[in-house]
Amino acid sequence: MSMFQALPDDIVAHAPVAEPTPIKLSVRDLDFYYGKNKTLNSISLDFHDRSVTALIGPSGCGKSTLLRTLNRIYSLYPNQTASGEILLDGENILAPGKDLNNLRARVGMVFQKPTPFPMSIYENIAFAVRMYEKLSKSEMDDRVEWGLRKVALWDEVKEKLHASGTGLSGGQQQRLCIARSVVLNPEVLLLDEPASALDPISTMKIEELISELRADYTIIIVTHNMQQAARTSDYTAFMYLGDLVEISPTRELFTNPREARTRDYITGRFG
Amino acid sequence: MSVQTPVKPTTERQVSSPYQRRMYLRRRIISTFHMAMSHVVTFLGVAVLAWILWSLFGQGFSALSIKLFTEMTPPPGSDGGLLNAIFGSLMMVGIATVLGIPIGLLVGTYLAEYGRYAKISAVVRFINDILLSAPSILIGLFVYELVVVPMGHFSGYAGAIALAVIALPVVVRTSEDMLLLVPDTLREAAAALGIPRWRVILQVSYRSAGPGLMTGALLAVARISGETAPLLFTSLNNQFWSTNMNQPMANLPVVIFNFAMSPYDDWRSLAWAGALLITLAVLGLTIAARTLLAAKSRMKG
Repeated sequence: MSMFQALPDDIVAHAPVAEPTPIKLSVRDLDFYYGKNKTLNSISLDFHDRSVTALIGPSGCGKSTLLRTLNRIYSLYPNQTASGEILLDGENILAPGKDLNNLRARVGMVFQKPTPFPMSIYENIAFAVRMYEKLSKSEMDDRVEWGLRKVALWDEVKEKLHASGTGLSGGQQQRLCIARSVVLNPEVLLLDEPASALDPISTMKIEELISELRADYTIIIVTHNMQQAARTSDYTAFMYLGDLVEISPTRELFTNPREARTRDYITGRFG
Repeated sequence: MSVQTPVKPTTERQVSSPYQRRMYLRRRIISTFHMAMSHVVTFLGVAVLAWILWSLFGQGFSALSIKLFTEMTPPPGSDGGLLNAIFGSLMMVGIATVLGIPIGLLVGTYLAEYGRYAKISAVVRFINDILLSAPSILIGLFVYELVVVPMGHFSGYAGAIALAVIALPVVVRTSEDMLLLVPDTLREAAAALGIPRWRVILQVSYRSAGPGLMTGALLAVARISGETAPLLFTSLNNQFWSTNMNQPMANLPVVIFNFAMSPYDDWRSLAWAGALLITLAVLGLTIAARTLLAAKSRMKG
């Protein structure tokens, strides 16, 4: 056992064992700018299909920024620009003229703060589905139920599907937001600190959900919580000051980091 | 660092040293002084308002009668009502609302959603702020030059346009402000589902900001329903029943303006009644706006 090991053995031992799967999403020489301010320096890494990759690092290291390039949500803001390549199944999503709405249906995203829309629970889920599919009423009912079951919310809300989504608890709202993404059948799911605004029990539910969704989606999760990264992910990438320091299978990164900076961070010497 | 013991409430606090006692006394005096001043000023403000309402209700109620709603504005010395003026006001405010509010809402939407960072938006905001505080008589003169002079006569349309121009900046400002209150995370969340921009605006931004947008629109209606100056040069007035918007048209504010300054008692009492009607209408609108807002926020909670 390494003397630098930061986390108790049993936590790391529960980390899923990474089996090499094909590469789903590949980032090549990615630079990112807020105005003139460069916040990502030539990032290159791969995300494997049907696996969970955690992005960790101190605040301001660029992990959320990296996540926000993967569905090009940053393009909502004219002063934010990215250069380099991000290949989704070999196709560069940074290419000009890319259909962003189509991309975002394939690459779903869940945010730190739960963001239910000001409409009913049912409508929160059906809203986006209607953009892409023409479903009959009963098909839509089935889809909504499927989504809510997928995030283990169905039993809690089946009696009040037409009540406002904003009336749910924080943890329920967050699961609603995940359901909203999942019903679009995305290929990739981006989670930006999905549990950091939630209590421990809701956090546990979200983590269980991540382990289940892992079977169907490529999941990338930004987290401040190293134990969460260890518990949920197959791969972990450590970022620092806009650089990707190292990406390894999670167990390896936490037990035997290659880089001194990674070791310092996971042992709590800074950050 | 040790955990600090919580400070006890002031009343039970031990005031030991003379310095502390002096300090405490000083703060009490300053606090009492400011509190008293705040109360006096609040009282003055409310008192003036109450005085205005008191005389308005006193004089207005005694002038209220069913004739107000059945007869036309009379020549001096004979009986009459305000029907033509009430109708004219409703028509002009109605048309102004239909013209001004959609345009204002669209401009506000542009400023808050599409053009938030555009240079042109800063210019539009600046000009809108000027328009917001422009004296309304200037707007009357502007519409006089723009509409009345080319048409060759005063008209209800010109009055409606002048009122719309006054409502416009109010609606632009409130709708931009209300849309900016919608958190960006909500827009991002909708965009992240691949929902096109226009649908995000319609179904997420407008829905979230709905009660606020509605309140802004109602406040604009309230604002224009009492405007006199812009109508003097545009719709002018009409002593007779007329539904022709292409002709000079009677309206409550100008009737009040003319009658209140006349030497005839019956005209003056009609002016009071008209003033009361406008006040009640604005009051009704404001209450409607508030109720709407409260109902919406309850539904959300």
